[in-house]
Amino acid sequence: MLVIKSRGLRNGIKAAVPFIVIPALAVLGSMAFARKRHIIISLAIAVFALLLFAAGFEKKTTGTRRMVIVSVMTALCFAGRFIPFLKPMTALTIITALYLGGEAGFLVGAMSALLSNFYFGQGPWTAFQMLAWGMIGLFAGIFSEPLRKNRVLLLAYGAVAGVAYSFIMDIWTVLWYAEGFKWDLYFAALGTAIPYTVSYAVSNVLFLVLLARPFGEKLERIKIKYGV
Amino acid sequence: MRSFQDYNPAVIAVYFFCVTGIAMFSSYPPFMAASLFGGVALYLVRNGRKHAKSHFFFLLLFLILAAANPLMSHNGVTVLFIMNDNPITLEALLYGINSAAMIIGVLYWFRSFTQIMTSEKLLYAAGTLSPKLALILSMAIRFVPLFSRQSKRVQDTQTAMGLFRDDNIVDDIRGRMRIFSILVTWGLENGIITADSMAARGYGTGKRSQMKRFRFRRDDIVLLLTSLSLLGITTAATFAGGLTFSFYPAIKYETPGIFGICGIAAYCLLALLPVIIETEVSIKWRYLRSRI
Repeated sequence: MLVIKSRGLRNGIKAAVPFIVIPALAVLGSMAFARKRHIIISLAIAVFALLLFAAGFEKKTTGTRRMVIVSVMTALCFAGRFIPFLKPMTALTIITALYLGGEAGFLVGAMSALLSNFYFGQGPWTAFQMLAWGMIGLFAGIFSEPLRKNRVLLLAYGAVAGVAYSFIMDIWTVLWYAEGFKWDLYFAALGTAIPYTVSYAVSNVLFLVLLARPFGEKLERIKIKYGV
Repeated sequence: MRSFQDYNPAVIAVYFFCVTGIAMFSSYPPFMAASLFGGVALYLVRNGRKHAKSHFFFLLLFLILAAANPLMSHNGVTVLFIMNDNPITLEALLYGINSAAMIIGVLYWFRSFTQIMTSEKLLYAAGTLSPKLALILSMAIRFVPLFSRQSKRVQDTQTAMGLFRDDNIVDDIRGRMRIFSILVTWGLENGIITADSMAARGYGTGKRSQMKRFRFRRDDIVLLLTSLSLLGITTAATFAGGLTFSFYPAIKYETPGIFGICGIAAYCLLALLPVIIETEVSIKWRYLRSRI
């Protein structure tokens, strides 16, 4: 793989790929193929995005300490997914992203989705769950400054992330079931998913209230003590 | 002579992507039928009569998915009956059955995939792609039992020191929160120590090796080439062999030519490949045992 020396160019590519290349792929794909192919295109995009991230991560000289912290948080997320109804996964992903940066957040979200699906069932949806949780972590990392300072904003982000997760996954449900995207099916899927959507949002807010401060202190302490 | 699950994980992963890829990519009814049949057959061959409950659940899901489309979509020319002023059409019903067969088939494939691809095999497959991510995954897997053991120890210590009573709900919850907090701090510190120890022993200086060795044997290569070439034939036939089938407005399909029939046969063979391997192995075993 190519190693790009110029920092500006590298950052440019990093911004261009998720915001320009992938949407362009989606639009071109939907124009080039008819009907049924949406699902393959969206799956390809999800896998492509994950691969891109993995490749970028592989090249970096991330310290071993940082990686181990990420796997500790992944293990906690994974264990947390066994709690019935209330899932602390998203909250833990967001907290990790706030203190260790967006990349760590992406990794924790995506890896815990992959790992926990060994128990909850792997499927084509794994790629979408990985991407959805990873993006929640990535954006929390990007907006970490205001989110860390403003508690209300943090809770709002948690609630929005829960609802958005449900909305994203239902797009995929509809794409899988029908040829192309149909609004009535999408609303029907959203309607049946309301209990889940509410439980996601509630558990995100609840666990952010409970865990944000103590976890923040612990991660902050580790960062200062060991210079992660 | 190996059963399907003992093949090289990379080959098994490629095989599963071929089968489920076509099942999701195409909506050609014979392919859906082959995929559903192959998926269910593999699951039955591997698990026997166990998991009757999940078969029942899948049957129920199949019926719901098949019925959902005619209730939501009213395209099609052959009206079966009218419900709530909405026509229920034969085409929409058949389309629903086709979609349901696709989804349930893929679900069965992935159930077998989850059984066959254990986390160790996944680490092997992920390790070739990105060793660092594989490390994160394998450490996370190892941390889960470690944390549960440590949490038991912390809890015992805390109760022995009389720091909380578990017959008082408020006190109990506070105690559990404290245990969790202690556990997280310990986990993070322990992680740092692990990382330092790994660095001291030269982690990242050489190539990462696996505990279990997965080698490429001759039959791995045979299986890989077979599944890729069957995938190639099926894809070529889909694009060039006139395998078209449209549900709306009326059901319309071309009779497949020789090339199209080859494509259908190739996909059927692909979907039945693991069942054939399993059957061959069990027959061989029976034969060998009968000679003892």
